[in-house]
Amino acid sequence: MASLANPRLMLVILAAVFAFLYVPISVLVALSFNEGGLPTAWTGFSTKWYGELLRNGDIMSAAFNTLVVALVSTALATLFGSLLAVGVEIRRRKGRFLETIIFAPMIIPDIVLAIALLSFFSLLNVTMGLHTVILSHVVFNLAFVCSVVRARLKTFDWSIVEASTDLGASMPVTLFRIVLPVMLPAIIAGALLAFTLSVDEFIIAFFTAGAGRDSITLPMQIFAMIRFGVTPEINALATIVMAVSVVALTLSQRLNRGGLPGQ
Amino acid sequence: MQDRKPLYLMTPALAWLTAFMVIPCLLILALAFFRRGLYGGIEYTFTLENLALVFDPLYAGIFLKSAWIAGLAALIAVIIGYAAAFAIAAAPSRQQPILLFFAVLPFWSNYLVRTYAWIVLLNREGLITGLARWLGYDAELPRLLYTEGAVVVGLVYNYLPFVILACYAPLSRLNPEIAEASRDLGASGWTTFRRVVLPMTAPGIATGFVFVFVLSIGNFVTPALLGGGQFQMIGNLVYAQFLTANDWPFGAALSMILIAIMMGLLTLQTFATERASGAKREGS
Amino acid sequence: MTQPLLSLRNVEKHFGTVRAVDGFSLDIQENEFFALLGASGSGKTTLLRMLAGFETLTGGEILLDGKDISQVPPNRRPVNLMFQSYALFPHMSIAQNIAYGLEMEKCSKSEIKRRVGEMLEIIQLSHLAGRKPDQLSGGQRQRVALGRALIKRPRLLLLDEPLGALDKKLRGDMQLELKRLQHEIGITFIIVTHDQEEALVMADRVAILKDGKLLQCATPRDIYEHPNSRYSADFIGVMNFLPATLRQGQVIAANGQPVAAQLPEGLSEGNDVVVAIRPERLQVAAYRGGGGPRGRVLATAYHGLDLQLHLQTNLSSEPITVRLTAQEAEQTALSEGDEVELGWNAKDTRVFAA
Repeated sequence: MASLANPRLMLVILAAVFAFLYVPISVLVALSFNEGGLPTAWTGFSTKWYGELLRNGDIMSAAFNTLVVALVSTALATLFGSLLAVGVEIRRRKGRFLETIIFAPMIIPDIVLAIALLSFFSLLNVTMGLHTVILSHVVFNLAFVCSVVRARLKTFDWSIVEASTDLGASMPVTLFRIVLPVMLPAIIAGALLAFTLSVDEFIIAFFTAGAGRDSITLPMQIFAMIRFGVTPEINALATIVMAVSVVALTLSQRLNRGGLPGQ
Repeated sequence: MQDRKPLYLMTPALAWLTAFMVIPCLLILALAFFRRGLYGGIEYTFTLENLALVFDPLYAGIFLKSAWIAGLAALIAVIIGYAAAFAIAAAPSRQQPILLFFAVLPFWSNYLVRTYAWIVLLNREGLITGLARWLGYDAELPRLLYTEGAVVVGLVYNYLPFVILACYAPLSRLNPEIAEASRDLGASGWTTFRRVVLPMTAPGIATGFVFVFVLSIGNFVTPALLGGGQFQMIGNLVYAQFLTANDWPFGAALSMILIAIMMGLLTLQTFATERASGAKREGS
Repeated sequence: MTQPLLSLRNVEKHFGTVRAVDGFSLDIQENEFFALLGASGSGKTTLLRMLAGFETLTGGEILLDGKDISQVPPNRRPVNLMFQSYALFPHMSIAQNIAYGLEMEKCSKSEIKRRVGEMLEIIQLSHLAGRKPDQLSGGQRQRVALGRALIKRPRLLLLDEPLGALDKKLRGDMQLELKRLQHEIGITFIIVTHDQEEALVMADRVAILKDGKLLQCATPRDIYEHPNSRYSADFIGVMNFLPATLRQGQVIAANGQPVAAQLPEGLSEGNDVVVAIRPERLQVAAYRGGGGPRGRVLATAYHGLDLQLHLQTNLSSEPITVRLTAQEAEQTALSEGDEVELGWNAKDTRVFAA
């Protein structure tokens, strides 16, 4: 592409686009350290809004709930999603139907899955709470883990699986001693991605968490705060939430790119 | 290997997806054909009323409005996103992964937070107003937040990284010698772009457009936060049927339409991509 | 002969309508170094994978020491495979790679340690035992793959294009190395290759495969000297083919002249044939006006020990290759454009149906 590009124009485009992407969130981060808390006036650097967060019981309990949901759903999704990926890639012939089922959770509009699950749980008379949020989050989380692991499996040398079998290993032994260690970076990358998605997910949690105050997750809390009265603490909260995502994604990206040391 | 059918590896995941995705979605499909009960429940008699209601002028208007906003957002996102992807693909190849990573990074931070950032910018007491005052503009600014424009900006902002990613893929696969061949044969830079590069990277544009459109038309968070309470899109309508109006069958019918639009567009896009894949293979 | 180590009886593998291996029968003796030679798609790799247990048979049986093993899963066969890609486990050290097979046999720790140590000696990599595969050169990796497969003392070692990933010089060294190892440890080797030179150098016997069928199975020398088909003749070494016809008990070249040839059995009057003759069996001399086969030198190619001449002759439209030793080349002193006459002995030819 370089041959067609005017370097100066390209630089202007990149600068404009990155400014568009990063100015709004940077403003939030800056405001979270603004003593006065108002966007229109800088009154001095302060971390007091972070302190406020810690004293806000609603936010802390929502954060705890989110952590529970994200950890449990990520664990389940990582297990199921990785097995699914290996199962799909080990077969030479791919089924279109299978592909659709696996792909669907990633493209189905959140609102549709959310109301579908809401109807499903209510018709089965399931009391909704954090457990139903977890059940629901596993659906899309496992699809994302599966897609990350599958991408790595595309470059996986399947002959090492045959080599292991040839040397006398049964299938479970091969999975545990050969496939798992080689795939571990990709599996962890997938898990980190799932964790991020789950921490940030709002719509499905909103519909499947039930009415109880004790099953409010952090994004639900943020939504409520934005909608019914913005307080300056939200800037601090937003900064922390973004930081968590950024760290998890960066780690995920590194693991996935580098592969195993010595590979 | 190929004689084995490792179904046991896939069973847990497929069972999960069946129980918590396939069956609930089929349930929604079925719900769309039942009658709404007297007190918000469901009466199990077959009816087409819910689907007919979707085409009632009141709701059809909301559909058109949503499609207009989603289409506008998708168009703007594709233009900006393609330009950005092109600029990234033109950068030295060592920098490309880094640029791409930072272009996509915001996509993975919280959607609500990213939307909220625009409230801070566009608010009546927000940053843009403040900036205007500081620059000496004292007259009343037009209202920025809770407008159609704010919703479009929010959607573009949220989905732009996705478009960049979708457009970058075919651009990066493009063999630079193809563009050089076109130049060598006498075409100007612009002609080469229009006649060679653009057609070969069209599938990425289509993917980006379809996804932004689909994600926007069913969105209810952005209209709720940036459009204010009075602003209705299909997503908000669905939301209302389930959480306030308690008309589940109609909500189900609405989401079915949503799914139908999505599947229609995706099929169209797959078809278009397959037609263009001859060109793509040339490029890889 | 005693009972063969391995017997293939009408072994078949069909993928849908494709007959990858099409009714194959073969005996291989204890301690043989056997090569399966064929172009890609000849079914040689499929056959090897059937022996290892990674492909099921659609017909026939495989007897190892007289017992049918065709239903035995790959992890229970006393047969090991050295993979084309080597398939070393990237996350394990060299020693761990080699120990893996013994761990699967539940050998004691001390025995594993001892045998891995011995194997590292044999493959001369003791000093690199702790390295990971990606820290090794291609030749070292190949030796690890070999050691890993050999440590289980299989009845049969299968090698899938074992030298394919090495550069040319290294390949020559490793050919001899493999042969030495096989001799030393006394295990039957079956090697799959598309490289005829590799097969000729290493193998005691060679089987030539084409389209899933066995064309010829003999010692390298036999195949070179007495190919039984035009395909084998063409596949091994360089061969000249002259189109001809059988008439009145004579072989008549395309220009109408009778040429010296060994008359084959089973071909009859009027058949179109080809006369096959090796380049080194041809004699050339400067043209002195004889009525026999003659030609003109198109090009000469120097190959170190020998000189190859490319001739346009009056026998066929295709150029013919002649190989002269350096000494012969000096004597004849031919160069491009020279007119030559050529001759050969009937016993050095083979005649095949065209």
